[in-house]
Amino acid sequence: MSAITRRVPAGVVSTLVALLIWQLAAMVGPLSSGSFPTAIATVGAFFIILTEPILWTQLLATAQMAVVGFVISVVFAVPVGICLGLSRFAYRSTKFTFDFFKVIPPIVIIPITILVLGPTIQMGIFLVVFANFFALAIQTAYGVRDTDVVLLETMRCYRLGTGRQILFARLPAAAPFVAIGLRIAASVALIVAVVAGLVGGAPGLGQLLAMYQTGNQIAKTFAVVLLLGILGILVSRGIVFAQRRLVFWMGK
Amino acid sequence: MTIAISIDSVSMDYKTDSGIKHVLDTVSYDVTDGHFVSIVGPSGVGKTTLLRLLTGLATPTGGEILVRGSKLSGAPQGLAVVLQDYTRSLMPWLTVEKNIGLPLKTQKLSKAEVKLRISDSLEEVGLTGNEKVYPWQLSGGMQQRVSIARALAVRPSILVMDEPFASVDAQTRFDLEDLVLKVRADFGITTVMVTHDIDEAVYLSDEVVVLHGSPAKVSEVVTVDLPFPRSQVATRNDPKFAELRTRIYEKVRGI
Repeated sequence: MSAITRRVPAGVVSTLVALLIWQLAAMVGPLSSGSFPTAIATVGAFFIILTEPILWTQLLATAQMAVVGFVISVVFAVPVGICLGLSRFAYRSTKFTFDFFKVIPPIVIIPITILVLGPTIQMGIFLVVFANFFALAIQTAYGVRDTDVVLLETMRCYRLGTGRQILFARLPAAAPFVAIGLRIAASVALIVAVVAGLVGGAPGLGQLLAMYQTGNQIAKTFAVVLLLGILGILVSRGIVFAQRRLVFWMGK
Repeated sequence: MTIAISIDSVSMDYKTDSGIKHVLDTVSYDVTDGHFVSIVGPSGVGKTTLLRLLTGLATPTGGEILVRGSKLSGAPQGLAVVLQDYTRSLMPWLTVEKNIGLPLKTQKLSKAEVKLRISDSLEEVGLTGNEKVYPWQLSGGMQQRVSIARALAVRPSILVMDEPFASVDAQTRFDLEDLVLKVRADFGITTVMVTHDIDEAVYLSDEVVVLHGSPAKVSEVVTVDLPFPRSQVATRNDPKFAELRTRIYEKVRGI
């Protein structure tokens, strides 16, 4: 047993077990009566949709919405968050507004965005930015404000001025918070980009999902879900990988 | 003898939710140039408050502090600090050499001079070769040595230490105390240290200032005339050491 566990990562084993349970549940279990596809059928459909050009067009559209939306949110939210974190007045006067927008789920503004932008890529990008901007700005501001007082006082004793305090203490101190914010934002970007297609009719994997569903192509519908899961893991792993290198002192 | 720091009838009040808290009441004391002075007193008496006033982090509500004759506003020129919590006062995102080099940015030094100061001060604290590591890769005692190296690199005229050895184990504490004695012998920097450890205060100091009461006043200034060089064994076994310790202990307890 130990020889096997040493060679095979634990994740592979649990995945195989999950697939096996799925397969059995769909064949003989409580789900066998309906149109629930088996694991084998879904994995089969997964490889079939990979050969269809429409998948790649839609994947590209989703990626475009998620990536462009993510980049725009980061480019605006992080500097705004830094300013909010540095000024107590700005932080206090905007906190309510930002919290208000932060808790509005992006899905509820889809009807409004459809009216304004139509079911387009731009709508998807807007939704991604809306979903991420406020949370990321607040998270950044929180990080800047969380700078250790002892560290700042040490710098004051050494006559290091405000500019150097920001550059050498406040910004690095905020970095781990920003990193966590980015990890969440990246996952949210992918989810919202899909929802934009699924609910809002924008192009992308969401639209493809809706199309297979209405066409009663159950296995392919599941295959898209499978693909989204894999994409989600890749995105989150990628961010964690970057985080370990850029914010290497995190948790030390 | 020249006076480095003159604490002149300094009082400090804090506004709290339950009214005004008087922490220090007309505290007066002159720190002689080149002396090592310890401030002792019961917990919460206001030792750290006094240090905050000396470093310019806070301004006294009464009286004044003069550093070499001029009134203090903000951190005085040539100040260096070593604080108890080295993990919070060193930057985890900078290497040891960059941590030490940071305060030097206020002085217009050449790159070569900065490098030299970093290597000199690391050598003084026995950490040569650790330039490129991060503080969290070092033990607690070594991190506090980095703090001391950072202080020495600015070539300070005043060194302020707040419970510098309270967060390290006993053996490391003795080593660091002896390092401070070595630094003192090498540079003779005017030093003010807050400690709750009376033995440590006697072992390191020229004078020990006892704060007592609420609000706190200087209840006693004890001159430590133990000979230099001092050693952990001989100095601490000196009958005079025991006598001074007892005297300070009684003053701290208000006996």
